Amino acid sequence: MKDLIFFLLVGLGLGALYAMLGSGLVIVYRGSGVINFAHGAFAMYGVFTFDEARRNGHLRLPWVDFLPTHWLNVPVSIKLSDKGVPTPVAFVLAIAMAVLIGLLAHFLVFRPLRNSAALGKVVASVGVMLYLQGVAQLNFGGGNRQASSIVPDSAVRNFLGLGKTYPEGALWAVGISVLMGVTLWAIFKYTQFGLATRGAAGNEKGAVLLGYSPQFLAAMNWVIASVVATAAAIIVGPIQGSLTPVGLSALVVGALGAALIGGLRSIMVAMWGGLALGAVQSLLGLYSTRSWFPEFLRSGARDVVPLAVIVLVLFLRGKSLPQRGSLEEKRLPLSPRPVRIPQHTVIWALVVIGAAFVFQNSGSRTVFAFALSTSLIAAILMLSMVVVTGYVGQISLAQMSLAGIAAFFMARMMAHGATTASNPFPVSGPGLPWPVAGLLGVIAAVVVGVLVGLPAVRIRGVQLAVVTVAAAISLQTLYFENQSATDLSAGAPANVRPASFFGISLASLGSKGLTDRPAFAIFVMIVLVLCAVAVSNVRRNGTGRRFLAVRANERAAAAAGINVARTKLLAFGIGAGIAGIGGVMLAFKQNDVSSANFVYQSSLAFLAFAYLGGITSVNGAIVGGLLAPAGIITATSNYFLKGTSIDRYVTVLGGAALVFTAISNPNGIAPAFQEMLRHLGNWLRQARGKEWAAVGKRLGPAFVIGAVAGFAIWPLRVDSYSKVWMPILGGLIGLLVRSIVLGIRQSITAKQQKRRRRSGPAPTRREPGAIGAGARTAVGSGVDTHVALAHAEQV
Amino acid sequence: MALLDIRGLTVRYGGLAANADIDLHVDEGTLVGLIGPNGAGKTTFIDAITGFTHVSSGAIEFDGIDLTSLAPDRRAHLGLSRTFQSLELFEDLSVRDNLLVAAEKPPWFAFALDLLRVSKRRSVYEDQVDKALSALGLTELADRLPSDLSHGQRKLVGVARALAAKPKLLLLDEPAAGLDTAESQRLATHLRSFLSSGTTIFLIDHDMGLVLNVCDYIYVLDFGRIIASGTSSEVRRDPNVIAAYLGQSAGEAQAREGSNLAAARASTSETGATP
Repeated sequence: MKDLIFFLLVGLGLGALYAMLGSGLVIVYRGSGVINFAHGAFAMYGVFTFDEARRNGHLRLPWVDFLPTHWLNVPVSIKLSDKGVPTPVAFVLAIAMAVLIGLLAHFLVFRPLRNSAALGKVVASVGVMLYLQGVAQLNFGGGNRQASSIVPDSAVRNFLGLGKTYPEGALWAVGISVLMGVTLWAIFKYTQFGLATRGAAGNEKGAVLLGYSPQFLAAMNWVIASVVATAAAIIVGPIQGSLTPVGLSALVVGALGAALIGGLRSIMVAMWGGLALGAVQSLLGLYSTRSWFPEFLRSGARDVVPLAVIVLVLFLRGKSLPQRGSLEEKRLPLSPRPVRIPQHTVIWALVVIGAAFVFQNSGSRTVFAFALSTSLIAAILMLSMVVVTGYVGQISLAQMSLAGIAAFFMARMMAHGATTASNPFPVSGPGLPWPVAGLLGVIAAVVVGVLVGLPAVRIRGVQLAVVTVAAAISLQTLYFENQSATDLSAGAPANVRPASFFGISLASLGSKGLTDRPAFAIFVMIVLVLCAVAVSNVRRNGTGRRFLAVRANERAAAAAGINVARTKLLAFGIGAGIAGIGGVMLAFKQNDVSSANFVYQSSLAFLAFAYLGGITSVNGAIVGGLLAPAGIITATSNYFLKGTSIDRYVTVLGGAALVFTAISNPNGIAPAFQEMLRHLGNWLRQARGKEWAAVGKRLGPAFVIGAVAGFAIWPLRVDSYSKVWMPILGGLIGLLVRSIVLGIRQSITAKQQKRRRRSGPAPTRREPGAIGAGARTAVGSGVDTHVALAHAEQV
Repeated sequence: MALLDIRGLTVRYGGLAANADIDLHVDEGTLVGLIGPNGAGKTTFIDAITGFTHVSSGAIEFDGIDLTSLAPDRRAHLGLSRTFQSLELFEDLSVRDNLLVAAEKPPWFAFALDLLRVSKRRSVYEDQVDKALSALGLTELADRLPSDLSHGQRKLVGVARALAAKPKLLLLDEPAAGLDTAESQRLATHLRSFLSSGTTIFLIDHDMGLVLNVCDYIYVLDFGRIIASGTSSEVRRDPNVIAAYLGQSAGEAQAREGSNLAAARASTSETGATP
């Protein structure tokens, strides 16, 4: 009993951190409808700012100097003193940084996104998270830091007569978190600002009519949340051990749990929930070492049990169909009907086969062979997201974990109790051949996928996204890192034997130990083609219609005779099957799989890139695969930018690009490219000498000037661009500059025309449908009633 | 026997009885209307029949089957199709696909076939959809997206979607709301033509004009209770209905005025002509 109370109390320290971050998540969600996956990263940047100012007297601004010159620089660091500033000054600086980050996040990222689908906001917050992590790595260094606590942190002996030593810091943490929670609750409950925020969350138009600016309110909420997160991390963070950019960013998971307990709505409940979560985790940590604790749960209980409870509560509270008049989610982009499937297949297949042979063992270009199969596998994984998220609208952040299920299960089914090069401990298993083991792996993924999809029957939108994160973490700790399931000792990777097909080896490793064998790339391509055609078929047939119907409107779908729950589970099942196939291919590529391949963060990153490619179409998945980390596009830019300092900024630029594309191209890149490619294709088919000449006249000068400039500056360069590439790159830059200049000129003339038109007769504008029609109905029906009754009297 | 037979239907939201003890019958091949002022509980009633809201007590029998514990999609499969007041079209699907979704009754393994085959022969459902489209004059709009259509056209798509499922009973929730007089009239003509092709219709509206003109039998709902029922001429004369629509006090005042007038007329006739 004493142990129980003591361990509950010990967990309160971490619980306080969850509580404060969780209430920040609630505030942001209510203020602007964003589940801020970057919330932990906000706290991280704040605490690093604090520590850096106190330790070294530097203030590091939240951006990097990306300009590749020595004479023109972006100011990044401000030197305040030579040996650190006093703690209160550092604290004020960190809070000011939090205010700045909150404002930047609102005005640069989430304000432009206020009318996009929930998924777009999730993707943008992932972009912000990657950006801040990247900036922190560059500005503060990626290593661990041991920050000293600012609250007294001596040990209290024989705490409350429980006979154990208790850290005083945890008491402070709990006190401060409760104080903050109550203050925030009171602000939102009693002040006009709080009332206005709550009002604007319920009805934005109404708030505007009452004279409040919803955007101002949202910005204020971002600032409050960011400040609370920073303060929490500074006060409580050091108690929890060393600080790393990635580790602190991951705190968002516990905070999400706390926010979910509060239903993303109640600050008070989120606060108490966060404290309770910390306490329960600590207690489970104690119990999982006891002998009576189930062996299987031992590694994961700490993370899994609380999450499972939260999901269960949400599930029981949810409804199987949305209520009448419940708020509708913003729609995802339209999902185009796939056309010309055979043509697409042939073109992609030829490109891939060509590339596979070109890049095989081709010196420094061999990286492309690796990137090629990475991109193809990523495309398979993203196809699974197209089905689940693009077609049925369910945001799943567990697709990589499902891929992991297939990979790990296959590895275990292949194992036959022998040691391998990468794993000196033998793994027991039935030693099945690869097709059987792979099939079993995919089936396991489907089964788990349907289970992961079960909450979607009653939980919707962003809440579901958070629940799937919980599922991903559970799978990781319960299966991938669980020795009693994988039989892998000491975190060794699971070995996968290469596949072969009627004597043709499909191994990924070539004779030089590089993953560049064309046979493997073609094997992946064939699998990708099969998956892509299957997904296209789904979209073109009745199943796809039902998927999109459920995505568009669950109530109407049920009225049309669709079993909404079964349809969602079907999508999760198909998605899991495809993700499983992707996982199996990834296992074949790597020959070893480890849990690091399948963490929930990689699901987040993959979903983000799938969204950028265009999550509602098969082509979008393929473009997403090209964009994927370590894929073709990354490899290309690394290849060409090698030797320049820009290589270091890839994470930062990637995060920024993610945010930028989510704002500028909410439909994804593929639809835009498709349009362009179609025009280009049509033009190429019809173009004769005359047309070519016309284009040459239009684009030629800009290209030539660029190419000459590229050639001219070649002797001045410091990097390793080749002599051939430089003029071509220069020419392309010339074309880019031309199009930008033309675009600006066009927008100026458009503005002038508009001004001219405004001074003329006012254009007739259509009334905003809903309000106008509603008012007319109300008036009209009243009149009709009178008329009808009068008519009745006459009869 | 009635196609739809409802006895003692009660729907409570907390302490409020949105529908209280409703008895209602719809015979096969008829057009039955339910009218009532705003907030009378009409949409709650249709939600209860189609399974979108929890029924507190009472029995709903459709075509001899007890519906009370069935999910909405099961009820739709039994031949119960509804429209929504707020349309609720599938905005991501073309008009034709909107109808196809409702028309198709796929077997459980349909997804496996769909995964494997590229396209299939023209199905029987397509004919059903074509028929529904032409019945409402939407054939030319079949490949448009709902968001490209006018409000009146969207209303018709909603009705066509319900009709495409070849329902035994078509439940229409305020189909005339937001339509102009001409569109409303055209809708009335459509409804009568569905009836002659064998579909039973249950129509809900607060617009008495449409309901009184087309329905064979009318129920009047107010504050969750049926206050009157009968043919359109019976309902028109019912003092409860007049009171419900013009307000209790207005109804009373009118009644009082009427009786005063009658008394005055009587007194003049008694005293004879005045000089």
